[in-house]
Amino acid sequence: MTAIDVRSLHKKFGKLVALDDVSFTVDDGEFFCLLGPSGAGKTTTLKSIAGLVQPDSGSVSLGGQDASDIEPNHRNLAMCFESYALYPQHNVFDNIASPLRSPNLRLPDGEVRERVGRTADMLGVGHLLDRGVDQLSNGQRQRVALGRVLVRPAHAYLLDEPLSHLDAKLRTSMRAELKRIAHGDLMTTTVYVTHDYVEALSLADRIGVIKDGRILQVGTPQQVWDTPETAFVAQAFGKPRISFVSGGLVNDNGVTRFISSDGAITVPVSGVDAQAGETVQLGVRPRDLTLHTGAGEQPAGTERLDGVVYVLEHLGRQTEVTLRIGESLVSVVASRRDAEGLGVDDKVSLLLDPARVHVFGDGDDGRRLSR
Amino acid sequence: MGTTTEPMAEPAAPAPAKQPPGPPSTANQRRAQRGSAAGLFGNLALVLYFAFSLLPVLFIVLLSLKSNAQQTTTYLWFTPTLENYQTVLGLGDGGSSYVRFFLASLATSTGAVLVSLLIGIPAAYAAARYRFRGSEDLMFTLLSFRFAPELVVIIPLGVIYQQIGLYDTIFGMIWVLQLVTMPLVVWILRSFFQDLPAELEEAALLDGYTRRQAFLKIVLPLVRPGIAAVCLLAFIFAWNNFIFPFTLTSGDAQTVTVSSLAFLGGNQVRFNLVAAGAVMAVLPPLVLALCIQRYLVRGLSFGAVKG
Repeated sequence: MTAIDVRSLHKKFGKLVALDDVSFTVDDGEFFCLLGPSGAGKTTTLKSIAGLVQPDSGSVSLGGQDASDIEPNHRNLAMCFESYALYPQHNVFDNIASPLRSPNLRLPDGEVRERVGRTADMLGVGHLLDRGVDQLSNGQRQRVALGRVLVRPAHAYLLDEPLSHLDAKLRTSMRAELKRIAHGDLMTTTVYVTHDYVEALSLADRIGVIKDGRILQVGTPQQVWDTPETAFVAQAFGKPRISFVSGGLVNDNGVTRFISSDGAITVPVSGVDAQAGETVQLGVRPRDLTLHTGAGEQPAGTERLDGVVYVLEHLGRQTEVTLRIGESLVSVVASRRDAEGLGVDDKVSLLLDPARVHVFGDGDDGRRLSR
Repeated sequence: MGTTTEPMAEPAAPAPAKQPPGPPSTANQRRAQRGSAAGLFGNLALVLYFAFSLLPVLFIVLLSLKSNAQQTTTYLWFTPTLENYQTVLGLGDGGSSYVRFFLASLATSTGAVLVSLLIGIPAAYAAARYRFRGSEDLMFTLLSFRFAPELVVIIPLGVIYQQIGLYDTIFGMIWVLQLVTMPLVVWILRSFFQDLPAELEEAALLDGYTRRQAFLKIVLPLVRPGIAAVCLLAFIFAWNNFIFPFTLTSGDAQTVTVSSLAFLGGNQVRFNLVAAGAVMAVLPPLVLALCIQRYLVRGLSFGAVKG
């Protein structure tokens, strides 16, 4: 069943277009991530679902019921704000207990204490219950804000960057904890806003990529990774980022080939929805390339690209190598052994599997052309 | 006061300019020394200013203790007497309506502040949170009541008040004092409400509270210092107002500010009686200030210390 149905939301703030035809659905019990850069309209989308922002047009349905006329306090949604929005006059306990004492729930004191204690312990703020909000670090505040959401049952959880201010170690453990909660017994529908693709890939059942108020693609983590629909989506996932080489397509005896603008890179590409002569860009993920140091046979079916080392970044077990091939820069992640002894301006080769390249139209918004 | 505070900054200024940033301990020591020197000068300047600004108060208090014969003298040795207070309060044989005027003042000022708070708090909240057509114009109109001189409206007001029977009534005074207190309440409290993030109320809404509950439980407690500060200011402005009671009252609703005039008229000018009346008239604002002192400092310095 559909828990949240967002239908072509439009919203302008003055002249600024915040939402431009945003539509997606979230199924019951699904963990849906909204991924995008800052200013993309993620928070506005979330607040529209919560009823805190009135969209100029479009609608939000909750559990199949149009929510336009439902006040935020009757939508039974729990939201975690990026600014925490903790009540400064209350201590941690009262902040987390607030939704349990509201007219909607009005739980007895004993149960409030029990639930708040359990939630706070789970989030690692159990020892801070008597503290004032102003005595907490940002990371602690963020966990209290998350606690105010997780403490109660709700039709859906709306989480706005709930892990952004935690330090790296805590973020990883909280991510695991969130995943456990989200996919645990409760299976509460969750809309999770983030700009961190790792969070999106690891937590989400499905991801919606949003930019400039438009949803670019909605799909499972697998789908957005394997078949990104625009160059921007491809760039949004993976570190180091996908490398792009701009060039054109030519027809070479029935085989479509990609040739970079300077002619230094040619790769056969199959199943591309474009005419020869069109300006396109070729995207290759750094982990889909291998460094070929000269020794050993070139495996069958791979293409060889020759270039020189431009930048070397040794990152522990792996080395990020950026090569200059003609005028383009292409990144590859190589094992430390393969990159051993390399120096800047050394000649090296890359091996590329033509089945794993992505062809996009020109520019950031270039649409996917390979099937 | 500028002349007394400026010199103290000069000796301190060259020190940090010449010295490059040293190890933290010496830098801290230097800062501490400079801090204590500046603090000493600062305190001295404050004491001087305090004495300077208290001089008129002292003068009035002394005057209120002087006898008729000595009331125009300025030297400090005289025989203090409480006679003036007795006369003003009507304890002597003359009889006086000072107490009645005092109570009328209390009623009008308190009433004016309460009405302004009752209407002004929701108005300030709405002005802070909602943009609607003409909202800025409305706010400016309200502000213009403050800077337009009262004399401009006093003649028509006098005529209207006579016609609709509000002349010389407490209710009429409370009403007209809204011109003074309402803009103060709305403008000051609006900035307090604006300083609060709207997401606090949004969080309360999503927690399941109604808009009214979110306002009463979350927002209002947070602007309490502002309400305290504005309460005192509005009370002082209402209490001190002269022109409205002077023109719109004659007896029943006359306030202390106007009634003191009576001591100046007649066959003898009695500055000492005016002074005694004034000293007692200072008490209500003073008592109010002391009562809400706890919130007042935070209220007046709000925004500067917001963390």
